[in-house]
Amino acid sequence: MIYDVTHVTTYSYATPVTFARCNLRLTPRADRGQEVLATSLAIDPKPASETARTCFFGNRVTTLTIEKTHRKLVFTARSRVDVRRDPLPVPLGGETLAEVRRQAIEAESIDGSAPAHFLFPSDRVPAYVPAADYARESFAEGRPALEGALDLIRRIRADFTYDPDATKVSTPLSEAFAARHGVCQDFSHIAIAGLRGLGLPAAYVSGYLRTIPPPGKPRLAGADASHAWLRVWLGRRLGWIGLDPTNAIPERDDHVVLAMGRDYSDVAPVDGILFGAGGQRVSVAVDVVEVAADRARPVP
Amino acid sequence: MIAGYKPLPGVPDEFATEKGVPRRHWMRFLEALNELSGPEIERRLADCDQYLRDSGVSYRAWGDDAESMGSPEREWPLSHIPLVIPEGEWQEIAAGVAQRAELLEAVLADIYGPGRLIAEGALPPAVVTGSSEFLRPLHGVKPPGGRYLQLYAADVGRGPDGRWWVLGDRTQAPSGAGYALENRVALSRAFPELYRRMNVERLAPFFQSLRAGLAALAERADPRICLLSPGTLSETYFEHAYLARYLGLLLVEGADLTMRHNQIHVRTVAGLKRADVLLRRIDSNFADPLELNSASELGVPGLIEAVRAGSVVVANALGSGVLEAPALMGFIPGLARRVLGEDLLLPNIATWWCGQERERREVLDGLDDMAIGGAFGQALPGFDTHGPILGASLDGEARERLARLMEERGADFVGQEIVKLSTTPVLDNGRLAPRPFVMRVFATATASGWRIMQGGFVRISDQVDARAVSMRKGVLSADVWILADKPVEQTSLLPTGKNIRIRRIMGNLPSRAADNMFWLGRYVERTEATLRIVRALAAQLVESDGGREKVGRELQCLAQMLVAWGALPAEKKPPVPSAALALAALESEADYGSALRLARSARRAASVIRERLSGDTWSLVGDLEACLVEEMPAASTEAEVFERARNALRVVAALSGLTHENMNRVAGWRFLEIGRRIERGVNTCRFARQLSADDSPFGELDVLLELSDSQITYRQRYLAGLALEPVRDIVILDPGNPRSVAFQVERLVEHLDELPPLHDDGMPEAPRRIVANLAGDIGSIEAAALDHATLLRYEQNLLSLSDAVGARYFLQGPHAARGGKIMGLA
Repeated sequence: MIYDVTHVTTYSYATPVTFARCNLRLTPRADRGQEVLATSLAIDPKPASETARTCFFGNRVTTLTIEKTHRKLVFTARSRVDVRRDPLPVPLGGETLAEVRRQAIEAESIDGSAPAHFLFPSDRVPAYVPAADYARESFAEGRPALEGALDLIRRIRADFTYDPDATKVSTPLSEAFAARHGVCQDFSHIAIAGLRGLGLPAAYVSGYLRTIPPPGKPRLAGADASHAWLRVWLGRRLGWIGLDPTNAIPERDDHVVLAMGRDYSDVAPVDGILFGAGGQRVSVAVDVVEVAADRARPVP
Repeated sequence: MIAGYKPLPGVPDEFATEKGVPRRHWMRFLEALNELSGPEIERRLADCDQYLRDSGVSYRAWGDDAESMGSPEREWPLSHIPLVIPEGEWQEIAAGVAQRAELLEAVLADIYGPGRLIAEGALPPAVVTGSSEFLRPLHGVKPPGGRYLQLYAADVGRGPDGRWWVLGDRTQAPSGAGYALENRVALSRAFPELYRRMNVERLAPFFQSLRAGLAALAERADPRICLLSPGTLSETYFEHAYLARYLGLLLVEGADLTMRHNQIHVRTVAGLKRADVLLRRIDSNFADPLELNSASELGVPGLIEAVRAGSVVVANALGSGVLEAPALMGFIPGLARRVLGEDLLLPNIATWWCGQERERREVLDGLDDMAIGGAFGQALPGFDTHGPILGASLDGEARERLARLMEERGADFVGQEIVKLSTTPVLDNGRLAPRPFVMRVFATATASGWRIMQGGFVRISDQVDARAVSMRKGVLSADVWILADKPVEQTSLLPTGKNIRIRRIMGNLPSRAADNMFWLGRYVERTEATLRIVRALAAQLVESDGGREKVGRELQCLAQMLVAWGALPAEKKPPVPSAALALAALESEADYGSALRLARSARRAASVIRERLSGDTWSLVGDLEACLVEEMPAASTEAEVFERARNALRVVAALSGLTHENMNRVAGWRFLEIGRRIERGVNTCRFARQLSADDSPFGELDVLLELSDSQITYRQRYLAGLALEPVRDIVILDPGNPRSVAFQVERLVEHLDELPPLHDDGMPEAPRRIVANLAGDIGSIEAAALDHATLLRYEQNLLSLSDAVGARYFLQGPHAARGGKIMGLA
């Protein structure tokens, strides 16, 4: 499945900003089951310096400084991505929780995708006992861990209310957990906290989800949003399995991956510092359009 | 003193054998001490404590309320008895610590580099990744300067078997070296002959090596080396300031530094100056809000980018703290064999990391003989404690819970064997008594290997049974005297003649230091002005002598000034002048403009630049607050309030004298002066606007002269009595009157001329232009033309000068202000 993704982030400031230093994670990573065919990044005003690199976790980061005084800052990221993921194994099977735990500790690697990085509390996912207690119910003794993890995201989907107005980017997971509501970011953090609490490596994924309009209605451009889900490491054989708790589905061809890290902090699409006195408004417009395979070449 | 000294049963003692007989190397100490009489010893010890108080040695204990500035710092608790160690035994410790430093350097280089130890199974990855100090952005980045550890410290203790054991490693930013130095200075001053006769190894060579080692890390030949401190709220800020002064480093905080063009620069009054080396006392996770902990306000945005570019050396390297995890301890003996091909010379405390199944079982089976701790720090998951707990203290339910927690998340736990520490004598009510202790030993990297400080920093517990000692309440610190076999060389950090370049200016003043100097000046001056108003008010009340039915206009005026000042709460009714009112303006806690609150603000500004103030200056700033904070009875009389204000004014006068007569005329002094001059000019304008209106009666003019200390001059100059124009001339225009506005402006012109320019184009900068304009104005006007509007204009000019000084010297343009944050969206 080939997609054209357009992601426009606009910052408007109440007072002039004289300097900004930002990290952008708006370019999709090279990832299993996904080929990045083309990317571009437009920044207005023009940055004084701009460097691109691949971070420890394998995400593509652009660091830039803007030294021109400005009141509005626009990032326009475009990418064309070909997504072809393997379906989950049938039957599910796989290792039990206890076995996965052991293999996670024994994996002798600290590469960016090694399970050891995703076992411990992180910035936005602190150790949180209620989330672990909640997750534990899905992992009966002897049950394959994959079954347990799928059960967990189904329960989250059933028990939690999707409410884009209930939480902010900065809402701690404990708050969203207690109120049983939130958005994709909250659900993913909660699931990660639960899985890590049981000793399973769990990672946060940022990206996009292609939305399919109701039958008979045209697709609305710009109606999409950036999305987040998680991956859980389920032993040497299965490796990382992507799970989307917001929709209670596994990661599949509709999911375009931007970045993967321990939590939102590692993959935030934009972060940085600026010198300015006033407040700011942010607006984000995302568009994910399927491109017919024959129209997709040549690459623009 | 030693009568009845009895070591604790089953615990080795440094001073005495099991039977209570003093060991040979302590005999020299006791003999020398015995030559002094009892009272003489007491006097010396009191001197020693006085020295520590005067030099302001202090620390904040963990858990002290960091927000309260009321009783923030603790006095330094120095044990008067050093720990005495003979050279032969010391050499074993030193060799063990040097070997360990060598090993840890190699382990760090592997963790952040090729990762062989992990790939080959010598080190489980989770032991590294579980630490919040494993900094992923630095993986694969070679540390500029070529090494990770410049300063390393090991906490050691003597176990029941008589051997020295390593209890913990300090690889992040070891503290205590500066305190060790201060302990040495205090004790050797109290007992100079004792210190000389005992042939004690010196500390100075170690610090010479540290200084040279830091310089050697830099690219440039004459590098700018900074000590990066988290600031005055840090537990060990005193030590940062002390070390910076002793080693000749620039003491900076994150806000002093800025990253531009992939280099780190210090904001100074002469513009941005490149920083080459940062001796880091902030935890690395806080070092760069852009790539690490984004909530940090202590760091420098972009620091990691600069490290990646190789343009700045951070010592110890960012991420070195990963080795402090207790989880790592258990692997050190194996790593020593693998990396160095040697066994550890000093064993470390046996540790089992519970991430591994076999170790976990061993810990749970041997729980009664173990302490259970967090694998990566102080907190123990699932238990409400700050430090480790004794396995033996857990009941059946708690054991089950622990087993369950370990089953799910064993990687979070370690079991450690329990080491009962040996004891050393402390003076307890005039007698020696044994107490357990931990000794911190320091090592610094040199071109020819690790150099060990010949001494150390000892913490002595107030508990008889102790396994670890941190500097909390009740804990003493002690010096370590290593008795050399051969005569020691007399060295100090004073360099020897030839290779010193003579200089009169110590680099460029950091903007933040200038900022605080400036505000110290302004706050002291504003305190003085408030005290003068209160004194005048109290004096008037005494004179009016109860005839209060008819309050004089001048009294009303003074009271209203205090309200406008913020020294008294603003209320609907005009204030009624009284002793109680005057007292409130002195010592009110609630009003930001009270003399007490202003004196406190002065002290806060001074505390940030303590390393730039003499001990006398610092203690006078403290005295100013102290003499106002002492509570007076609410029913104090006018005369008592007058007295209190007068005493406080004497402290201000002493402070002024000190800064005037004893402070070198470097840039710091100029900013202190600029602050005072601007504030005094503004205040004098305000006094004059209030008290010399066109219709001001005689009484008001008299008070104005009193506030400006000009009564005597006036009477000598004018025999005819008080009149408006001569009063205005003397208070505003007379350049010979050190309290006149014209005098302040002349001094401001001089000071601004002496400050370094930002550009060499010869153009006057904004502050200079404002003050030149004001000087021309005030120098050409006549008293008859001085009206209310003119006074207001002078005042406003001075305030805009203050802003311009701030913008030019403290903020450094658009890169200055601490930014808000850009946040992304999910």
